[in-house]
Amino acid sequence: MSDWYLAIGIGLLLTLAGALFRVWRGPDAADRMMAAQLTGTAGIALVVILAAASGDWAMLDVGLVLALLAALAAVAFVKAASPNGAGDPEEDDLS
Amino acid sequence: MILDAITMVLTLGGLAFFAAGTLGLLRFPDTHSRLHALTKADNLGLGLIVLGLALQAGTPGNAIKLVLIWALAMIAAGTTAQLIARSALVSNLRKDDGDRTR
Amino acid sequence: MRALPVSPFLLKRIVLFFIVWLAMAGVSVGDVIAGLVVATLAAWLSFALVPPGDARLNMVQLAAMAPGFLWRSLLGGLDVARRAIDPRMPISPHWIAVPTSLPDGGLRATLGSEFSLMPGTLVAGSYRNVLLVHCLDTNPGARDQVVAEEARLRRALGLRRAAPAHE
Repeated sequence: MSDWYLAIGIGLLLTLAGALFRVWRGPDAADRMMAAQLTGTAGIALVVILAAASGDWAMLDVGLVLALLAALAAVAFVKAASPNGAGDPEEDDLS
Repeated sequence: MILDAITMVLTLGGLAFFAAGTLGLLRFPDTHSRLHALTKADNLGLGLIVLGLALQAGTPGNAIKLVLIWALAMIAAGTTAQLIARSALVSNLRKDDGDRTR
Repeated sequence: MRALPVSPFLLKRIVLFFIVWLAMAGVSVGDVIAGLVVATLAAWLSFALVPPGDARLNMVQLAAMAPGFLWRSLLGGLDVARRAIDPRMPISPHWIAVPTSLPDGGLRATLGSEFSLMPGTLVAGSYRNVLLVHCLDTNPGARDQVVAEEARLRRALGLRRAAPAHE
């Protein structure tokens, strides 16, 4: 089973690489911010797959921390992109 | 044996959704459509992988932890998608504005 | 520093945090004692950060929403995966605006997060009292879905009636 998990993990890495191509090319800041989304979902998937592959379930705690930080990463990205640095897109006038 | 087979099917399905998400991210024409692909497909992919691994987790504690990870990731995905969508919308409008006044 | 406000809400949060602690740490004697202390501190901290608002969480109704949510987020993933893989790529992205009567803030963000995981919709926050929803394809039912889910959320949160939406 451990080989199977590693194969899935490699597959995940490949899809992650493909997605990072979009992060690299942009064109908008928002396209690059999707990196935050990627570290959230793909990163967590990789960690839990590796936990199963190595049989070291303590690694699940790493996944848990990543999951907790995923939303914060997005907030940080959006904050950095907003012009006044306040990072509350709701405040911007859409009219 | 059967449990192993189910895990293999679920994790492979999860990988397939991650691949579909990446495909959407590369193919879709505008930022917001790409965000659709990334948020929904990847989230479902993670769900399937977590479900598949929970069957092999041994102790119930590990299984609960896996489900907790997924729940947190789902909340994060929803929040992230909304934040990025908003940010992209605002910057698009600002860009349009700049074009018009120029 | 003020004395600990002991209220049913604080107790509810302590119980919630304690359950999460047990799930993560296990159920030996030492863990349970440490868990009680940590859960109390966490609940107290959460009280300072997020004081209880108007919403009274109805756990049963919230749990009743879960299967529908999971099912539709499964459909959401399938739908977008199909469109991404299909060589013709059948999408026609556009925006719709859906008036909402949910109070601004956390509740509205919850509805927005939920719909960002549903098939074909993505929420980009709100402007005044209108939710800005991005649709991946022509989807005539999207508006009704948002309205119906808002009503369900409102019930689960124990909000009695819709506040009058104003522009």
